[in-house]
Amino acid sequence: MTLALASVALAVILIPAPAAAAPLERFFRVGAGQYAFTPASLRANPGDTITIELHSTDVTHGLYVDGYDVSAEAQPGQPAALTFIASRAGVFRLRCSVTCGTLHPFMLGRLVVGPNWTLARAAALAGLAVLAAPLTLRKAAE
Amino acid sequence: MKRLALTRSPWLKAALKSRWPQFIAAALLLAGFLFVIVSGLLGTPVGSRNFGIIAVWILWWALLILAAVPLAGRGWCAVCPIPLAGDWLQRGALLGPSGRPPRGLNRRLPKALRNIWLQNGVFTLMALFSAVILTNPRVTALALAGMLAAAIGLSAVYERRAFCRAVCPVGGFIGLYAQAAPLELRVADTAVCAACASKACYNGSESGYGCPWGVFPAGLARNSTCGLCLECLRACPKDNIALNLRPFGGDLEKPAARLDEAFKAFLMLGAALAYAAILLGPWGGLKAAALAVGSPAWLAYAAAFLFICFGLLPGLFWLAVRLGQVFAAPRRRTARRSDFALAASALVPLGLMFWAAFSLSFVFANAVYVLNVFSDPLGWGWDLFGAAGLAWQPLLTSWGLPLQIGALVVGAFWAARVARRAAAQGGFHALPVTGYAFGLTLAMMGLLL
Amino acid sequence: MRAETLARLLVLGLAAAAVGFPLAARQRPPLLHARLAEQGGWAPDVLRAEAGQPLTVRLTSDDVLHGFGVGRTDFEAVLVEPGKVTEVTLTFDQPGIYTYYCTVWCGLNHWRMRGVIEVRGSDVQAGAPTPPLYAQLGIDIDAPHPAETTPAERPNALAAPVVALEFSFDQYAAASPAQLWSSLGNQPGLENLTDAQRWDLVAALWARQTSPAALAEGETIFRQDCAACHGPQGAGDGLYADDLASAGQAAMQGLAGAPDMLMQSPPDWQDPAILLGASPALLQGKLLRGGMGTGMPMWGAIYTDEQLWHVVAYLYTLQMDYP
Repeated sequence: MTLALASVALAVILIPAPAAAAPLERFFRVGAGQYAFTPASLRANPGDTITIELHSTDVTHGLYVDGYDVSAEAQPGQPAALTFIASRAGVFRLRCSVTCGTLHPFMLGRLVVGPNWTLARAAALAGLAVLAAPLTLRKAAE
Repeated sequence: MKRLALTRSPWLKAALKSRWPQFIAAALLLAGFLFVIVSGLLGTPVGSRNFGIIAVWILWWALLILAAVPLAGRGWCAVCPIPLAGDWLQRGALLGPSGRPPRGLNRRLPKALRNIWLQNGVFTLMALFSAVILTNPRVTALALAGMLAAAIGLSAVYERRAFCRAVCPVGGFIGLYAQAAPLELRVADTAVCAACASKACYNGSESGYGCPWGVFPAGLARNSTCGLCLECLRACPKDNIALNLRPFGGDLEKPAARLDEAFKAFLMLGAALAYAAILLGPWGGLKAAALAVGSPAWLAYAAAFLFICFGLLPGLFWLAVRLGQVFAAPRRRTARRSDFALAASALVPLGLMFWAAFSLSFVFANAVYVLNVFSDPLGWGWDLFGAAGLAWQPLLTSWGLPLQIGALVVGAFWAARVARRAAAQGGFHALPVTGYAFGLTLAMMGLLL
Repeated sequence: MRAETLARLLVLGLAAAAVGFPLAARQRPPLLHARLAEQGGWAPDVLRAEAGQPLTVRLTSDDVLHGFGVGRTDFEAVLVEPGKVTEVTLTFDQPGIYTYYCTVWCGLNHWRMRGVIEVRGSDVQAGAPTPPLYAQLGIDIDAPHPAETTPAERPNALAAPVVALEFSFDQYAAASPAQLWSSLGNQPGLENLTDAQRWDLVAALWARQTSPAALAEGETIFRQDCAACHGPQGAGDGLYADDLASAGQAAMQGLAGAPDMLMQSPPDWQDPAILLGASPALLQGKLLRGGMGTGMPMWGAIYTDEQLWHVVAYLYTLQMDYP
């Protein structure tokens, strides 16, 4: 039983997401104001060429993409763009990279590259863990 | 359940019995605490470049929630600088007992305050202003100065550490989550205590103060109320106090049922969910509302926060427990109230892991600020260690997500185990409570991932 | 007891050091703090210096990214970052009053972030300053100035007929393109030109007053300092245009006086009747003096006359083509 649960858990972690469609050029116009990006969530497929044009609406903001280590900074009225190839699949945080006020460290968004199975995998693992919990207790009792 | 008594090592025991290591740690931390207040008041108002904000809300918070509490329970309380000045005032000494009677009014803490309801209240109050406290150095400095002043003031009126026991908003949740830690202070043999006439651990002796937390060690079954100050270890004439390593979650084997602690658990879960939504979520309006203290939007936010923590979460939990009772005994009509608090012990590991997962998301992303503020603590252009100009760069970005998922999965697993134990003890079915914990885990995953 | 004394000294010593160290190390003179205009702007907002003597300024920002520039000097602006300190040294050759200002857009009231440096010195230049050109010409720069006629097609300097025509800077400055177009109709030798040709000729005469380099500088200034309100194409639809309009309505409730002088949206220069009805002296006057309450900043303290004329030359390219 334990073995079965463990192998299911392994499968949940390792099973690959389906291959994505042909790469595209994607353009996002992202607004930045204290303390949110709009839209806050961007989607792309692996291999896509992503261009993000950053439009600040109040003070200077930046946009940093976790995992890709690219960033741009824009003053209000002077949009800035950054372009990169979405070579890695997964969920990546977008963070403001220019101190823009009190909640600046929490000005966040996200970039999802490929089908987002992270949440589903995490939920499945939690479910397995909950199922496995009573088994470990029974064993301890024996 | 196996225990390993650290106090069996003579070398370690001598180090624990000596007041110096603990005292030096607390004295240094007091200096740091005062420096946090001064830098918060005089330094740059920009939180991310002010020592006060970064040292407290990134460095201390990360060490507390990711290391100190999960590994050592109330280990932080053992070296916390806040009670130092009040203790000195009361005892007339910083080290060993002077033999003189305690100073101050030395009243007994009213019975109504010998629980953590007041701590729940203070925490709630601070939680409502958290977006400001967390980011504004002036406000952080005033909050900390207020805590220090309250600790000193209360020690002049009440005996022992009244602030720690009844007021400290941090101590409340540390105590709750300390139950999950693999470290405990217990008596080695209760029979020895029963035969002991002096009860020096509670009353004090010339070698140690009576328990500052007002606890009789022989009665300790859980970590919540023990501050790990080690005075009983020093006072005990029978050498009957042990500091034990134990498996994680030792106190949750036989969960206790206290309503004040149950509500602390709801409060902590609610706060973790709320902060995840406010601080890490994409909703700019929510952030603005949490910041605009006093505005109608903030009032709505405060009302929602209070409703989630004191209405929604306990309400749903009550339903889950009631459902568990019905599953177990369909015929019984009345709801047993003790089951509610008993089952809430499952929320202890769940909440601890929620906070770990939540904290992981911002601690490493902002870790570079720690280096910045040690080089230029006040934002005055100093460069003490050459790291003032280090550019911001989030650290461990690829590890953050797996670690967070891991923490939440562990939390769900652990909660399910404790729920089952509590259910066996109370005689209700564990499934609905487990389902509640799983549901909250999914909600937290949705907010964090 | 000796251990106790040591412990007490340790606690008191550490506490005194923690509090005393920052107090002892406080900055003198204090930092120059940049704050949003809504939070008070620069603090302090007056600095004093001696001509020829270096003035060291240590800058920091209390909230968001700002910049520090000094008007009508060749000092290169620096960024002022939140919680960090930037040190600059300024030297003024001439005594006078210089304006320092924020160079990074930080909200609707960004341009209200200004302070002055009073530079004292012995060699004060005597004589009253010359009044600006619009005042010499008697132009009321706040009066409406619609063009009576507008071109059917966009005037193009390259398509203009080649004519020998004297056209001085003073002539250029004094009349709007529409006025010039009208007066060219009475000019001997130009009677045979079509309306469109005459407009093309206006564009060509305008082109004579500037150069590609000057236009480029004018455009740079426009993009950097004007577009956020006036819009990237000058249509009056910049990022802050709506905020200006609503701020104006709010201000109107509190202020007595001419309501047309309160915060208002910028004009639509994509409308030829508006831009081609304005003379260069009028536009330069607006830039120089500012809108006196409309939200349009006063640029006279920041840019040199030459730079302002470059901006004026660039503005007309929104309605006319010239290289």
